[in-house]
Amino acid sequence: MSFLRVAVQRVVGLFVGDWLQSAVVLVIIAVGWMAVLRFGPPALALLVLLLAVQLVWFARAEGKRARS
Amino acid sequence: MAMGQQLFIFGAAFLGSAVEATEALTIVLAVGLTRGWREPLLGTLAAVVALGLLVVVFGQLIVTRVPEEALKLLVGTLLLLFGLRWLHKAVLRSAGVVAMHDEDHAYQQTVAQLGAAAAGRDWVGFILALKGVFLEGLEVVFIVIAVGGTGGGMPAAVAGGLVAAAAVAGAGLVVRKPLARVPENTLKYAVGILLTSLGTFWAAEGMGASWPLDFASILGLVVVYLVASRLAIFLIRRPAVA
Repeated sequence: MSFLRVAVQRVVGLFVGDWLQSAVVLVIIAVGWMAVLRFGPPALALLVLLLAVQLVWFARAEGKRARS
Repeated sequence: MAMGQQLFIFGAAFLGSAVEATEALTIVLAVGLTRGWREPLLGTLAAVVALGLLVVVFGQLIVTRVPEEALKLLVGTLLLLFGLRWLHKAVLRSAGVVAMHDEDHAYQQTVAQLGAAAAGRDWVGFILALKGVFLEGLEVVFIVIAVGGTGGGMPAAVAGGLVAAAAVAGAGLVVRKPLARVPENTLKYAVGILLTSLGTFWAAEGMGASWPLDFASILGLVVVYLVASRLAIFLIRRPAVA
């Protein structure tokens, strides 16, 4: 059973390191989807920008937490 | 599918699988060199068979049963989450916040868990190798299925995974010690960028969008994520202003 539990934790851990960050990524995808449906390909720039910004934001926040 | 796209898929699957195979090799070597080779090799074989079955079953299932658009959105989203996790960790390692992964250290840790070789059948060696290879291999299975699952790239992705596993196993057979000189952290950084870019590309296609320049847009995404990650490293390293 412990092997199965570790395997399940490992599978979840493939996609989720920080629950908040994962939730933010999913929200960005949802927002991007709506923007793509409404504005077409130009909305892709917004999607990529938001994803890049969250990467910088969460890495910086964790860096700050680790230093303090 | 264009040759360049096949090569990209092969490369992403190869690099991602090579990183995980290197970590699995460390565990098998630690068990084999400490307690003898028979059981760890049997454990490795059992894990490889189980992982192969997962690729065949899930790979076949998602390719044949899930509509192309939904598959792109689902796989793209999962690839994005997976790639961003690797990229996030690589940024923190490059900035000196998290310690670099060290195969020599991982080897010593595994050896410390083991006692001397047992007489008769050595279940500890079998289970440790099976568990280590299977758990590390789960990431390989995901990478191969996700990278190859859309747009008919499965043969290239499976080939990338197999070639990586064979190359790492061959190197392990020759040097008989952990592959500490493999630039694992750099590879994880590169794979994180590749998978995040691929995930963004497919998620957007699954939303119904068409990229300008089609698959070549991935190179633009690679540049964006590379710049963003370098910026994050710079901001973390920069001393705080009092």
